[in-house]
Amino acid sequence: MKRALLALGLVAGLAAGCGGDDDGTSGASADGKPQLVVSAASSMTEALTACSKSYPGAELKLQFAGSDELAAQIRQGVKPDVLAAANTQLPDALASEGLLSKPVVFATNEFVLAVPESSDITGLEDLEAEGVKIAIGSESVPIGEYTRESLAKLPPAQEQAILANVRSEEPDVKGIVGKLTQGAADAGFVYVTDVKASDGALEAIKLPATLGPGATYGAGVVEGAKEPKAAHAFVDGLVDGECADALQAAGFGAPPG
Amino acid sequence: MLRVEAQTRLGALELDVALEVAAGTCLALAGPSGAGKTSVLRIVAGLVRPERGRVLAGGETWLDTEGGIDVAPEARRCGYVFQEYALFPHLSAWQNVAYPLRGMSRADKRERALALLRRFGLEALAEARPRTLSGGERQRVAVARALARSPGVLLLDEPLSALDARTRAGAARELSAVLREVEVPSLLVTHDFTEAAQLGDRVGVIDGGRVVQEGSPSELAAEPRSAFVADFTGAIVLTGVAGAGSDGLTRVALDGGGEASSTDAAEGPVAVSVYPWEITIESLEEAAHGSARNRLAAEVVSVTTVGNRVRVGLAASQPLAAEITEASARALELRAGTSVIASWKAAATRLLDL
Amino acid sequence: MSSPRHTFWFPALLALSLAAALTFLALPVAAIFLDSSPSELIDSLGEPGALDALWLSLRTTAISIAIILCIGTPAAYLLATRSFPGKAVVVTLIELPLVLPPAVAGIALLAAVGPAGILGGAIEGAGIELALATAGVVVAVTFVASPFYVRQAMAAFAAVDRTLLDASRTLGASEARGFVRVMIPSALPGLAAGTALALGRALGEFGATLMFAGSFKGITQTVPLAIYDRFSTEFDSALALSAVLVAVSAAILLSVKLVAGSEALGGAAR
Repeated sequence: MKRALLALGLVAGLAAGCGGDDDGTSGASADGKPQLVVSAASSMTEALTACSKSYPGAELKLQFAGSDELAAQIRQGVKPDVLAAANTQLPDALASEGLLSKPVVFATNEFVLAVPESSDITGLEDLEAEGVKIAIGSESVPIGEYTRESLAKLPPAQEQAILANVRSEEPDVKGIVGKLTQGAADAGFVYVTDVKASDGALEAIKLPATLGPGATYGAGVVEGAKEPKAAHAFVDGLVDGECADALQAAGFGAPPG
Repeated sequence: MLRVEAQTRLGALELDVALEVAAGTCLALAGPSGAGKTSVLRIVAGLVRPERGRVLAGGETWLDTEGGIDVAPEARRCGYVFQEYALFPHLSAWQNVAYPLRGMSRADKRERALALLRRFGLEALAEARPRTLSGGERQRVAVARALARSPGVLLLDEPLSALDARTRAGAARELSAVLREVEVPSLLVTHDFTEAAQLGDRVGVIDGGRVVQEGSPSELAAEPRSAFVADFTGAIVLTGVAGAGSDGLTRVALDGGGEASSTDAAEGPVAVSVYPWEITIESLEEAAHGSARNRLAAEVVSVTTVGNRVRVGLAASQPLAAEITEASARALELRAGTSVIASWKAAATRLLDL
Repeated sequence: MSSPRHTFWFPALLALSLAAALTFLALPVAAIFLDSSPSELIDSLGEPGALDALWLSLRTTAISIAIILCIGTPAAYLLATRSFPGKAVVVTLIELPLVLPPAVAGIALLAAVGPAGILGGAIEGAGIELALATAGVVVAVTFVASPFYVRQAMAAFAAVDRTLLDASRTLGASEARGFVRVMIPSALPGLAAGTALALGRALGEFGATLMFAGSFKGITQTVPLAIYDRFSTEFDSALALSAVLVAVSAAILLSVKLVAGSEALGGAAR
């Protein structure tokens, strides 16, 4: 029984603790700046961590995980101040449930076919060959959804051949990156920002535009957040501010319009 | 025949022994704790290898440090009865006894084990686990187990010391009978000289890693070579049959002739025990006075000076020894062959059930 | 008739502590079963991925335990009965995975036997696939679970009276024979307890498995990984799988108690 408990506890712990601080409560920090807990999709790990160090308006406590897990947490009653997801469906769904403020689109991203830098693979056709090991996101995490949607736009035979070579469905995009950098997988579908963050370990192969390899990121303030003003200011800052600059420097696209 | 020679260092102790045990006899090594007795057993069994030594048993060489021979314990045919018996807790009594048997079907092993248990009166407890058995029962199972595959040498480590005083008497009798039946050399260790005397044909007193004296129990009591041996040998033990006497005393008819009275109450076969220093020697002419004294006619066998005491070995219907002062010895002009009266108080006579 | 003297406050405090501990530990476990109806739970178990995960968990755990018992038992015996220079270091190394966080275990395995690890080339050369393969799950699970067994086994062997072994040798059994016929039966309660602990740990392993072997239905997605995959979108399914894991763990605990007696898992005065 302890193992099941631990499994569920690990879920909460990993979701809460991936990469960042794991303080689930917000409030005023010691030096008077408000504390903001921000749940953000893993693809934004490097960019947001960088801008959080000098963010003027509040002390940021970041937690990174797959957007679906972060949304599920909020549905279970966990209350970070801000949710920044890798798609717009999850924030919209939460807003319609009254759990999130009206979401704001703050960035775009492109997902690509990533391969280790020494790879022979040059395009989607190479993924159909036998013995190729592919890592993609799980069904419920945005990168996994995006990947499956795109692959569905391919001729069915090609889609089936590629999916047949999938060997791991990772809970978040950093897991895919890890499998690639460790040499466990030959190819994977990740965001171009992740490839940039890999510092040369990975190569990005652009996907045909017909597959719609774009991702739109939406963010909102969680209903019941302790510091709504600071939270809204942060979300606005994702569109135009310090963190927006950090996102663009990492390779995210500016929000449309 | 068993011959063991060993010189080795064990912690702070320097062990240096050379012992020989004839087939069908039992040598009892008696000595205080830490004297190295158990180590001798372990060397014979092969559980410990001495720096230098030899072990010869029944024509086989089990150990010869010089010749590079060291037979593994499992290949030596030793029956070892451990101090706390070391019965396997997860096996029943018969399974314990059957443990050493090889090359037989399970049914045959059970048969043989039951036969051995029967000989020790334990057949009814064959299926019992050791933890449900009493101390005495466990001791008998341990002995049965040691004998199961007809060992070439029988080793016993304090076989009676884990038993309470009451059980001990009966167990000693039975073990004594077993040892007499066994046709191989037996080597027994104990810290109790009386036990050694009762079970062993010969007794070796061991102290500080060395055998300080070896001989029959009465020889050791009568002619101790050192104060240590003299003190260690303790009381003289005679055997007899007790019955009611006059003046409320118990009268014991000693085996072989003679009588002794005691203030203890007992009936039937008994052991009569008295300390040598309680025994005085009177010349034949002097005797006759003093009530409530036991008197036995005896012949002086030996006169041994130990420090400022004198041990006088006496032969009556059973061997005796008296311990007197030098002055008394001189005054009595004792010599081997002199006839004297050995006398001691009834109150100093202890009776033990046999 | 005399009666024992009672003070009120101390026993009350003890009872309160027990109640608190019981609530804290039992409530989440009970919630697994109470949050959804039994029929919903059973339905979601029928979904193919769930059964795959269960079967995979059972297979990999069984293989892992078999490896741990075969290699761990003699190793524990050696450590319990012999001393040699550097023994303390060896023991610490063996116990290390016990205190490693699973994520660190995952990193360690990747660094050692991952495709880019120290032995990665040799393993690939030998045609063995670990990453993204079921064999990788077995490796991860064995790594984190073995110290649980080895430690208990060491303690169990050390507690066996050495004279029993001496006796066995004087009775004609070689040391190997004595190990099988005396040491192991005598140490059985402790060995059973160690096996149960290792089993529990193996069944629940998550982080190292995910990092080292990945997560894929039927190949590497064990029950904990399946729970994690489902909890955000199919909570009932996650509950059902958790319930199964709780039931299996409880069954393991119970069987150990039966096999080895209540002393095995530290039962107090009988």
